[in-house]
Amino acid sequence: MANKKIKQIAIYGKGGIGKSTTTSNISAALAKQGFKVMQFGCDPKSDSTNTLRGGKYIPTVLDTLREKTSVNANDVIHEGFGGVYCVEAGGPAPGVGCAGRGIITAVQLFKQQRVFEELDLDFVIYDVLGDVVCGGFAVPIREGIAEHVFTVSSADFMAIYAANNLFRGIHKYSNAGGALLGGVIANSINAPYAREIIDDFVKQTKTQVVEYVPRSVTVTQSELQGKTTIEAAPNSE
Amino acid sequence: MGKFVDRPKYICAMGGAVATLNALPGVVPILHAAAGCGFNISNAINGGGGYVGSGYCGGQSLPSSNVFEREIVFGGEGRLKQQILSTMEIVEADIYFVITGCMVEMIGDDAESVVKSLDKGKRLFAADTGGFRGNSYKGYDIVLSKLFTEYVEANHKKDERLVNLWGVVPVQDVYWKGNLRVLKRLVEGLGYKVNTFFGEDETLENLKNSSKAVLNIVVSDTYGVDAAKTFKEVHGTDYITVDFPIGDHGTTRFIEKVGTALGVSGELINELIEKERRRYYGYLERVVDAYSDFDLQRYAVVVGDVNYTQGITRFLADDLGWLPELVVINDLIKEEQKEIVARKFTDYESGIKPELVFDTDASGVLKHINRHWEENRGSRYYNSMTPAFVIGSSIEKETAQKINAQHLSVMYPVSNRVVLDSICRI
Repeated sequence: MANKKIKQIAIYGKGGIGKSTTTSNISAALAKQGFKVMQFGCDPKSDSTNTLRGGKYIPTVLDTLREKTSVNANDVIHEGFGGVYCVEAGGPAPGVGCAGRGIITAVQLFKQQRVFEELDLDFVIYDVLGDVVCGGFAVPIREGIAEHVFTVSSADFMAIYAANNLFRGIHKYSNAGGALLGGVIANSINAPYAREIIDDFVKQTKTQVVEYVPRSVTVTQSELQGKTTIEAAPNSE
Repeated sequence: MGKFVDRPKYICAMGGAVATLNALPGVVPILHAAAGCGFNISNAINGGGGYVGSGYCGGQSLPSSNVFEREIVFGGEGRLKQQILSTMEIVEADIYFVITGCMVEMIGDDAESVVKSLDKGKRLFAADTGGFRGNSYKGYDIVLSKLFTEYVEANHKKDERLVNLWGVVPVQDVYWKGNLRVLKRLVEGLGYKVNTFFGEDETLENLKNSSKAVLNIVVSDTYGVDAAKTFKEVHGTDYITVDFPIGDHGTTRFIEKVGTALGVSGELINELIEKERRRYYGYLERVVDAYSDFDLQRYAVVVGDVNYTQGITRFLADDLGWLPELVVINDLIKEEQKEIVARKFTDYESGIKPELVFDTDASGVLKHINRHWEENRGSRYYNSMTPAFVIGSSIEKETAQKINAQHLSVMYPVSNRVVLDSICRI
């Protein structure tokens, strides 16, 4: 156990593209396979883990830190579907303070308290806010945190644009010991041309598509129930 | 990679703002910054400014919001509000002035809106002075501009015999108080009343009513000019810039320029110049014996800021008959300003032409000296640059030792003496 390598991955992409949905389903699927998983939401909106928790918000690391001078990481870990450990970094109110610094504070708190090792985790998945607007949001891909990073993108121009922008950040850190790019999770791919657009993008950027996910009403229905698709429709395709 | 400054002779904009506000009577600064900012700034001001000391609510007693990580993440406006209210309750002042450090500006704290929400009228102000905005001189300009815009009363009837004078930056000019006293006396000699804001016997009333003045005299081409532009925009008052005078030749030019701008008669201008000369040479003549008997003429290297280097070099070249060989200016000045500055070192009556170098690194002075005056490489008949004097700041002490020259620190940082009421003395 002592030397077990925890697999840490980060998932980025344009806002509203399906990062949290995808991340939560990956977490749920891994948990179902018997792995010990933590999902770490890095977005001040703090809604990453909602579908793992019946649609309910959980107290965030920074909410707790706002009230107390120190936080025990175990107090902000909430178990969700399949025993997934859910954490939300949280952040300041919109328009004040520094959300990026908030993410750094939250991630460092967990690192310092060696929570991942204590919980004997197999996977930690960081679900990070859309555009990497400052250094704070790059923390999960910096040295010593996630080893691999995936981007969620549809075939829409702006989603690809955001993914491309993200690649630039990953490139910077991957040369300095940070996370390596795992590939693109192509979301909402129904029309044949959409697949071609994504394929062309990964070809141009010399990366790969790890999976094509079609737009499906089952996903929407599951989310409306406050559940992941894995939980709500385990037998769906 | 960007250029860094080795051994800077100034602090950040916030540091300049603290020094400026502390020098105003009845004004207390409130720092919205991390705890280290106030600590470092007060040490830099005290240690480099000829021991400024704390006075009332200065030094290590500066009110500061001392933000920590919590304020950085969630915003520090609440903490600032608390700090303002507690300072206003505990500390006595006529004006409280909030200034901001780098961190709180980077996270977007809006000190101005906090101040507005407290609705304290002309007792509470705020300005953004994050260190990244510039150095001490920038802080001086920011604070003055703010006070000119928001504190100085508008629409006054002009007082035809009143002028304002600034451009001598408190602490950056370690002799600022004595210098303002003398400059005020000179302009009074032309028949005008003078507000200097920071000088002896000044009160906030002088500042509040300064829009009555008919002219703003900025004793610098670089410092305080932005504030003068603001003053003109807001109150319509014209300004002139004039070189900081040291000695007879500098002072004569000062009186002529200010007198002419004010429309003073040539007769009165000349009378004042003659009066000042009699007074000045009455003192200087005492060293004439020693000068000739002991051969007191020296080579000189002058190192420092724009205001002082030009004043001192003119004094050495034209008043004292010394041989200023090299002048190194350490200020951060724009390319277009360099030409204006360079002209000040070319028109000496003695015909002396010192080499002028702009180098922001105070550590580079020895390199320039060695390049300017060839080193002795074992030559039997070597003509050395001795005896010599290095006139600059405390930073030049080692340089002077290395070239066997004597050393005098008169420009910031001056950390080897306590300056009380002096004017710049050589």
